[in-house]
Amino acid sequence: MTAAVTADAPGLDAGGRRHRPPPAWALGLTGLATLVAALELAPRTGLVDERYLPPFSAMVTALADQAATEQFWRSLAETLRGWAIGLTAAMAAGVLLGILIGGIPLLREATASTIEFLRPIPSVALIPLAVLLFGTGMRSTLVLVVYASFWQVLVQVLYGVRDVDPVARETARSYRFRPLTRVRTVIWPTALPYVMTGFRLGAAVALILEVTGELVIGSPGLGREIAVAQTSGAVASMYALVIVVGLIGVAVNTVARATERRALRWHPSVRSDAVA
Amino acid sequence: MFKIRAALAAASLLLLAACGGGEGGEATPKESGGLTPVKVGVIPIVDVAPIYLGVQQGFFAEQGLKPELVPAQGGAAIVPAVASGQNDFGFSNFTSLIIARSKGLPLKVVAPGAGSTGVAGKDFGGVVVKAGSPLKSAKDLAGKRVAVNTLNNINDTTVRASIRAAGGDPKSVKFTELAFPDMLAALDKGNVDAVQVVEPFLATALKGGGRLIASNYVDTAPKLTIAGYFTSEKTAAAKPELVKKFSAAMQKSLKYATDNPDAVRKILLTYTKIDPALTGALTLPTFPAEVNGEALKTLAGLAQQDGLVTTAPDVAGLLP
Repeated sequence: MTAAVTADAPGLDAGGRRHRPPPAWALGLTGLATLVAALELAPRTGLVDERYLPPFSAMVTALADQAATEQFWRSLAETLRGWAIGLTAAMAAGVLLGILIGGIPLLREATASTIEFLRPIPSVALIPLAVLLFGTGMRSTLVLVVYASFWQVLVQVLYGVRDVDPVARETARSYRFRPLTRVRTVIWPTALPYVMTGFRLGAAVALILEVTGELVIGSPGLGREIAVAQTSGAVASMYALVIVVGLIGVAVNTVARATERRALRWHPSVRSDAVA
Repeated sequence: MFKIRAALAAASLLLLAACGGGEGGEATPKESGGLTPVKVGVIPIVDVAPIYLGVQQGFFAEQGLKPELVPAQGGAAIVPAVASGQNDFGFSNFTSLIIARSKGLPLKVVAPGAGSTGVAGKDFGGVVVKAGSPLKSAKDLAGKRVAVNTLNNINDTTVRASIRAAGGDPKSVKFTELAFPDMLAALDKGNVDAVQVVEPFLATALKGGGRLIASNYVDTAPKLTIAGYFTSEKTAAAKPELVKKFSAAMQKSLKYATDNPDAVRKILLTYTKIDPALTGALTLPTFPAEVNGEALKTLAGLAQQDGLVTTAPDVAGLLP
């Protein structure tokens, strides 16, 4: 069959009809199943040492043990709470400052080099500073989360504001729209797709920094549980918690994409597949 | 559009609430049920079992204290938090405190924490090699690669002391910094020739066929006190009553831990994730009633000898 397919034009089977590729979810599941099988077999066949990478089934067992403890659920809630607060703060600050800076050319010129200087500083490098200022509690981690995701949002909003159609902008000016009206009717609809991209990027970065902060600083959450499992030599439990963090990442991305689609349902980039 | 504005408004409110709440909660510690809250930075390892036991047994409540135990990854996070007054007390090994004090951080020990068992070959930490390794004693470590969890700290200085005691050359040993959880894998792969580990990794290593060749804490000094609880001089001066109560509760907790090793093994399961099947095999540290001043002087001497500090450390100033 493979010979027949490769001989024909791609996408057509032997009968000449359109050959449907398997649906995306099936491909996704196959990929996941392959990963799980590799994780199960590599330690069992002795390819890697079972003491340092236990088989997948052992991780699942450890995860079940973890899920039975109150501590696990409390940590999960702490991580999600820190992520949500941090992301919300970054979004609010990023959008407000982005529209303000982007809307005033003078301000944009004045801040451009400062932003380019501050943006690439890795949040993790600020850990000692955060610990000195706020101790080892959740606020230190929050600083990292907000700092990292704020730039993702701000830069996107700046691009969005820049993308406003000059004709529309001039028209708004000719009609003497008040600043707030201009933001609402001209800038915001153009910037919204960029804001949503910033939201999606920021959501992922916020989760990464939340877990990093917990892991390194020791503020409450799943990251700290991973660190405790590590210092206890509980390898399977550690991987189990890492899997949970990965699953949260998938969930965060799904939610961010759904939000994006909802907020932009009028936008051509989202509407197009419905039209076609 | 209204939805988005409402969402934005809600978001900024949430942010304000979050900021306000955080500050109010930490800046002014309130008395809860007549107990004074006290924050203690600890490392989630075997050594701090007594304080968890003390909380469980109500020894701190007897003194009118309500400790909040804040687990941290290591001294790097604990010392600044205590020095800045964010935490009232912290747990650290003594070499770290000696170094911190010589660098001008005014810290003071308020209670002992954990000590060596004093029995060679049966201590809670030691130097381990692979099953087939030709290394037989600390003397053979000369010129070899040895992993310690922190360079220029208690573990490399005491391993050097161990080599010196065995008549070897401590200068030629090459130390590598590795976290305890990574050591056994590195040893297996042959990246290092020996590792200095503590429980629970010592028991894990021995179970996996590793061989103990030196008990570095025992070789350094008899009954070496390794770690303890400390505060900043500022806290000690501002809240002498709090320090006194904490020390008293700690003394009782340490005594209880010494008398009830089974309770120690049991409480480990609450704050660590050590495999319950392994807890029986762990060698517990001792929980001394007081800081062994002589041993502390030995550590200070080693710190100076190995160049961790430049001037003779002020051991008396560190002690309560």
